[in-house]
Amino acid sequence: MPFLSLRLKAALRLMPLLVCLIMPSVSFSHAVVTESSLAKEAIKAHHPTKVVLLFNTHVELALSRVFLVSAGDIFHPAEISRGHRAGELLIQLPSLEPGDYAIKYKVFAADGHLTENNIRFHVAP
Amino acid sequence: MYMQGLANFIDDFLGGLILISYALVVGSLFWSAFILKVWAKEPLANPAIIRRAVSVLRFGAIALASLQGIKLLIKGMVLWGVLGELPIQDYCGTVQFQAGFLRMLLALGIALLAGKLLLDTRQKKLWNLLLLLSIPLVIAGAWLVHAVGRFEHREILMTITLLHQMSAAIWFGGVAQLLALWRLGYQDEEARLFWPHAIIRFGILGAVAVVMLLMTGLPLAINYIASFEGLFGTGYGGLVITKVVLLILALAFALINHRAGRRWKESGEAGALKRKVPYYIEAEAFILVGILFIAATLSSQPPSEDIAKNPELTATIPEVVEMFTPRLPKIHSPSHDQLLAGEAGRVAVVNKIPSVAATEWSDYNHNISGIFLTTMGLMAFLSYIPSPAFRWARYWPLGFIGLSIFLFFRSDGETWPLGPIGFWESTFGNGEVFQHRIATLLAFALGIIEVRARTRLDAQKVRYMFPILCAFGGILLLTHAHAEFELKSEYIIQSTHTTMGLLAVIMAAGRWLELRLAPGATQSDGTVINEATISGLLAIFSMFLIGTIMMFYREPLF
Repeated sequence: MPFLSLRLKAALRLMPLLVCLIMPSVSFSHAVVTESSLAKEAIKAHHPTKVVLLFNTHVELALSRVFLVSAGDIFHPAEISRGHRAGELLIQLPSLEPGDYAIKYKVFAADGHLTENNIRFHVAP
Repeated sequence: MYMQGLANFIDDFLGGLILISYALVVGSLFWSAFILKVWAKEPLANPAIIRRAVSVLRFGAIALASLQGIKLLIKGMVLWGVLGELPIQDYCGTVQFQAGFLRMLLALGIALLAGKLLLDTRQKKLWNLLLLLSIPLVIAGAWLVHAVGRFEHREILMTITLLHQMSAAIWFGGVAQLLALWRLGYQDEEARLFWPHAIIRFGILGAVAVVMLLMTGLPLAINYIASFEGLFGTGYGGLVITKVVLLILALAFALINHRAGRRWKESGEAGALKRKVPYYIEAEAFILVGILFIAATLSSQPPSEDIAKNPELTATIPEVVEMFTPRLPKIHSPSHDQLLAGEAGRVAVVNKIPSVAATEWSDYNHNISGIFLTTMGLMAFLSYIPSPAFRWARYWPLGFIGLSIFLFFRSDGETWPLGPIGFWESTFGNGEVFQHRIATLLAFALGIIEVRARTRLDAQKVRYMFPILCAFGGILLLTHAHAEFELKSEYIIQSTHTTMGLLAVIMAAGRWLELRLAPGATQSDGTVINEATISGLLAIFSMFLIGTIMMFYREPLF
């Protein structure tokens, strides 16, 4: 039935749009950051930095995303990798100009909860 | 755009329903084994009673399979939305997906077997298979709880949580079975005769379940809460306190029922067992449903232990007490323009600026709603005075309609009808707005229904809608999300909403009991102070307390 298959294809194409419309972002607020390198050491301007976040639970890396947010709420995807300790997430930040920024993380914890949160920080000149 | 709350709410809501379905399956199995003794050569109950028990089990299994499937689907959709793509392989590779999928398949198998058992309840082979499928179903649950993501004592915590869930399931499943048996008694003489025996027997099984519940709950609480600050200063701790309060209430009902059973055993007096106990069990079921929803909400909270040492994430006791401290309600609101002016800064990720106007707008909404509810509560108290001079007071539920109109315009000023964000976009794009819309509709429905129920004798059918809607409202409050706030602010707000949720569940159980214990009346007329009147007054008092909490509400500036 070509008509049906066309409709099906159209519906499938619309699915991501529908999902984005209905559920653009989400948080099942469970995983929390218990330790952050940002709290210990300020980020230096014009130097690429690796930020370390320690979560209270195991994190599924493939199902997690982190963004660097700059002034005006502009989102830049950040590269993430697993740290040595359980629950540790390493975020590679590029060289930054002085100013206000935030890290927005969306992580999928091992217990099935999705968490979305922001960590704000300042880069001094 | 924030969708956190909606997903959170859906997850908690489905989680609560899954726990209820799971309890129906597991509890029914224990009921069949220990109360009906279906594995004995001669079961204690006739086939009609066993069939009824199997029907409940089958219903639970179908619900569990469907809900578990929906949950996996929704989680997949949420991931798709969050990540902009769905890495199916990675998602299917998570232990959550695998355990959930396995549980869904096992529940389907149980539903099929239960369907066959309905045709012949004496087939031991089918019962054995049912048991065989139920064991991995219970075990799979261990990979669906908090403990699975922990770094320390993971396996021990998983096992204890499993036993904790199973004990709760025995209790709630047994209560559901008792209610099913009572209903069967309307048409089956043997079910009527079996009723007192079932109460006595379940008293023993229920007591074992409660002891197990406490023995497993205590180490979990110690491990996840760990400190005084964690108990009173975090969302996790606050929910545990609420759970304990409801647990005490449910235990009180269980004790009353057990005593009635003992009286029947000792003296043969079965009056209370037939006139009151079934309704107490219904009220107990209301409370247990509340507990199961709290348990589901708990799983979306970080354990107190992980945040209790961080003053940015944990509230102090004075901060929580401050939320409940009496003060003059705010009766002046910032203008709509002032509210909108602060919105851009309030929702910014970088350079976020807390909006005083938004906080005051919210305070005003809560305080005025509180005035509505306390006034309605006072009127409702007057309506119990047996004098024609106070007949007008029976129309107190009209206040709900006024409240719903107020909420319709005020609850989310940045959205339709006052703000620039459209109805659909705001309703399905923000979980908090979604819940507020439901609450508005709920208040309107409550007003219409309860006025009819309180004033018209021919409105028998709709009378029970009020407690059911109240219970739903309570669940809404218990799972209420303020995801736009940081954990500490979220908890400070949550402490009031959880308390109101607790009171709403009590209100639902109280009104339900009032209706069940005094059938035929529009409401107890107060001429005789009996259980029905006391229950009704308790329900009204709970509403009054909800009103006072709202009247004194002050949102933290964030």
